[in-house]
Parts: sequence; C-alpha cells; structure tokens
Amino acid sequence: MILFDHVTKDYPGDKRPALDNVSLHIEANEFVFLIGKSGAGKSTLIKMITKEETPDSGKIIIGGIDLDYVKKRHIPHYRRRIGTVFQDFKLLPTRTVYENVAFALEIAGMSNREIERTVPKVLELVELSDKAYKFPANISGGERQRVSIARAVARQPKILIADEPTGNLDVQTGHEILDLLQKINDYGTTVLVTTHDAEAVNHLKKRVITLRDGKIISDQKSHGIYRLDGDNDGISLPQPGHLHPNSYLIKEEKKPAKTSKRKIQ
Amino acid sequence: MKQKDESKSRLKSIQKSSGRHFFRSLRRIFRYGFIGFFRNIWLSITATIVTTLTLVLLFATIIASLVLSNTAEVMRDKIDITIFFKPGTSADVLSKMSVTMLADSNVKQLSYSTSEEEYEKFLEEAKSSDNKALLIALEDDEDGLMKETFLKQLQATMRIKVHHAEELSSIKKIVAEDELFVANLDTEREPTYNSNDLAISTITSWANIATKGGIALCGLFLVISILVIFNTIRMAIYSRAEEIYMEKLVGADNFFIRGPFLVEAMASGILAGLFAGGLGILIFNLAEPQLKSYDIAVGSIDTFLAEPLNIVLVFLALVGTGMVVTLISSRLAVHKYLKRV
Repeated sequence: MILFDHVTKDYPGDKRPALDNVSLHIEANEFVFLIGKSGAGKSTLIKMITKEETPDSGKIIIGGIDLDYVKKRHIPHYRRRIGTVFQDFKLLPTRTVYENVAFALEIAGMSNREIERTVPKVLELVELSDKAYKFPANISGGERQRVSIARAVARQPKILIADEPTGNLDVQTGHEILDLLQKINDYGTTVLVTTHDAEAVNHLKKRVITLRDGKIISDQKSHGIYRLDGDNDGISLPQPGHLHPNSYLIKEEKKPAKTSKRKIQ
Repeated sequence: MKQKDESKSRLKSIQKSSGRHFFRSLRRIFRYGFIGFFRNIWLSITATIVTTLTLVLLFATIIASLVLSNTAEVMRDKIDITIFFKPGTSADVLSKMSVTMLADSNVKQLSYSTSEEEYEKFLEEAKSSDNKALLIALEDDEDGLMKETFLKQLQATMRIKVHHAEELSSIKKIVAEDELFVANLDTEREPTYNSNDLAISTITSWANIATKGGIALCGLFLVISILVIFNTIRMAIYSRAEEIYMEKLVGADNFFIRGPFLVEAMASGILAGLFAGGLGILIFNLAEPQLKSYDIAVGSIDTFLAEPLNIVLVFLALVGTGMVVTLISSRLAVHKYLKRV
C-alpha cells in the first residue's frame, strides 16, 4: 500500500539529508507508528506521501500509483484518495463541524443527497453527532481532532495518514483518538501515525518504524515497553530492530487484501 | 514499464471518478462565498469601506475634471476678437469681409454691425443705464444732430470667436493684408486681440491643463485605488492563508479554493459601488450651489444627473469598477498562496 524504495531528500543548506536512502513497505490494512525525535524526517516522509514534497532520488508508490507520474494537475485528485489528520487539526475556522466534514465530499463533486446521507454517519462514527452545528472554536481539542479524523475518513480512503494526532491532547483524550484510529483500521483502512509520544505507541502495540537523522534505524512489532528517553530518539527500544529495511523491501507492490468491512456502516 | 502504465491508468480512473461537476461546484462556490462574506464580517466591512472610499475619490476626480474642463470651455467661449472699421462702413462691405474671414478654419463664429447698428446698441445700453443726463440729452435730440455726431464717430465692428485662441496668425494676416480690410480698417482703434494676448494664452493654457490634467489625475487615482484595494484584500486573505493551505491538503482544486474568495471580493465590490454612487451623487448635490456661486460650470453634469437612466449608468460604472478591481486583487492575492503546496 505504501512503498518507499531508497528515497533520499536533501534540502539545500541542511547539514544532512532529511531522508537518507529510506526504504519501507506498509501492507494494506496495517497500522504503523512512525517514531523519532523532531528533525528525524517523519514530517518529510509524510509530505512525500501527500505529494507536498518530491524526493531527490528513489521511488515512492502509494496505493499502486508511482508518484513520479503524479503531475500537478493530478495532485488534488490523488490527495482525495488519502485521508490526512494533523496535530493542529487544520479545520476551516469559519465552517461548522458538519461543513468541515462535508467539505471533503463537496470538493469531490458528491451530490447534496449523498453528502446529507454520509456526513451524519461519519459524525456518528466519531461520536460528534450532537456537535454538528458548532464551530471549531467552540469545541474541545479532542473533539477538533475527531472532526479532523471524520473529514479524513468521510471519503473512505484506503490510506489514513495521521501526523502527531495526539500531540496537542492530554493522555486520556490521546488514547481515545488512537482507539478511534484503530476502529478505522479495523474497517480496512491502512493507518500510518507519526508520533514521539511513547504512551501512544504503548497503548496500541503495533508495528513501529523508528527514524533517526533521516534513516530507518528500527522496524519492529511493539511489545508495549517503549518509554521516553532523551538519549535514544525520544523512545528507547526493547531490542535491536528485528527487520532490516532491505529484508522487506519488495519490488512490486502486493495487491491489497480484500475486506468485507471496508465500508462504513 | 508495467508500473508506469498501472500508475497512469489508476490516475486516469481517479480523475474520472472525481471529475469536476462544474455547475454543482459553482453553486457551492457562490454559497460558501456569501457565507464567508458574513462569517468574516469584519474583513468584509474593511474591504468594502476601503473600496467605497476609493471609488468615491475616483468619482469625485472624474466630476472635478469634467467641471474644470467645462468651466475652461465656457471661459474660452467668452473670448472674442473685435475688429473696428471706419465709421460709416457699409453693410455690403462688412458682408464681403465676413465671407473672407469665415473662410479661415479657425473662425468659429462671426458677427458684424454697422455704425447705425452700433448706435442702436448704444441707445439700448443708455436706456438701461442710470446715466440720466445722457438719457435727457438723447431725448432732446429732435433734429438728429446728436445722432449724426455719434454716427460719425462710432466704428463699424466685426466680432469673431475662434476655435484656437492661441493660433491667431492667419486672422491677423487677413486683417493686415486683405485689400478690403486694409481700406476700411479704423486706424485709430486697433483690433482687440493684441491687448488680450496674455489673457487668451492664460485661459487657453488653463483649459488645456484642466483637460489633460483631469485625464492624468483620473488615471493616477485609478492606479492608486487598485493598489489600495489590492493591499486591503491581500491582507484579508493573508489572515486566511492557512485555510487555503488546508483546503489544498484535503484535495480541493484551485477552482474550488479560489471561487469563494472571488465571490466574497465581488460582494465587497458590488456593495462598495452602490455606496460610492450614493455618496458621490449626494456630495455633488450638496456642493452644487456653492460651485455655482463661484461661476463654476456644473450645468452639463447637473443635466446629465437629472436623467434617471444616467444615474443608473453611474451606479453601473462604479459597481463594475468595484467588481473588476476587487476580483483582480483577490485573484492575485489567492494565487500567491495557491502556489504554496
């Protein structure tokens, strides 16, 4: 579903590349944490997926699409296939919760009838049906993040990218958001979450990819014993990475596994 | 190669599945534009006020330029050249000379009067004057002696209005060289153009400055108004740059992002045009009596604005200008942020 093959990105004036020969493969329906300190390259990697940045070298294939062939005119259509959640929510401040979610469907040209049918269901999924006509300024941080998630999943994307989704939230609310992301993953969506929050990683015990100085230094299944550690990328590792990047790099992407639970009920 | 074909076919299919529904999008753009106008009410009020003030200034400049130009035209019309002929010059001779003079392209209007006609004018003027002694003397002139004396002294005259008061050389040449003119010219009284040279050139240059300066001033104000409106809208959009960024990340295309901003700008432009038209006409009506008291020619504008259709035209012109300027400004300002991601 997400394939990075020897991807390097070097910003002019920086001492070292933001991403240095990064290779990774995330299968369909997987839930993956991408961790590392600030400046490790997490955001650059996310920006590559959303096509905000292009690599200097290497290949990126998302949902079967080689991003080298995604031209400027394709970008809006391509982005509609990916749900994106941000640390600072990025909601439209002058639109209500309902309108924020509906926006994702309106830009895709969906009819009003379809929108009126879909938005309440998505709001129900994120448990915000009673806040539909409130403005973002009038709801809590956790609720805002739920709106952001609702907007991201309204079009039922195959991939959901969440960039530090719990970064601005307290532990309890953070756990609720992660549980919601898990629920969305259960419906068949591939979820990639960046974080430097050990609590978040330990809460779900999923596959964890660790970045340091633009390189993948570990890729393993979490055992729920990550802890905050200033000397070791913000998170200490229970054991050395059991998978070397080259060992799982595939040349051709596998077809995503079919799931009967894809559609939001 | 296989990956390339697959990517291209997938891209084609997602483009097709989320193809643009033009009229549906247009409806949503207008809806969000108007909603945005009211939800960002302070920004909308600021943009509308600045646009209104600028349009009023533009309207005032155009009116001032027209008033100045009309006044100059009226003053130019008041300038005439008077040529004096010997007393007793006949109407026939004056008619022949007028034909010669009218052949000059600079002559706009010409009239002449014999000594008899000049005497009649003198009598009319005397009757309407307060000079009682003169009136008594004229009433007592039963034997016509006084009239005879006047007729011997009153010159026949030719009054000429010209198109270009600063180019009198051809007229002067006729007066100095034409045989009839030379033979009949009163040598004791010079034609008036010599003594009026300074006044003529001053009035003419003022008239030219008024016309050319008015056009330049209008152009200058138009440029300034575009810059002022552009910067106001740019600042308003700057505060919403993050909105544009997030809309792009969610997958909105430029048409859908830009649209509501253009509708908001258009709404500001329409309101500003209507306010500016109302304010401009109100200010003109308040200032009109004062202007008239200084002999400033406002008649033609007054007549123009008396027609309801012309008032509609004024409003349409201001609304149109407001809309065009705000739309251009908004498009340029949004474009900067659309390029970001």
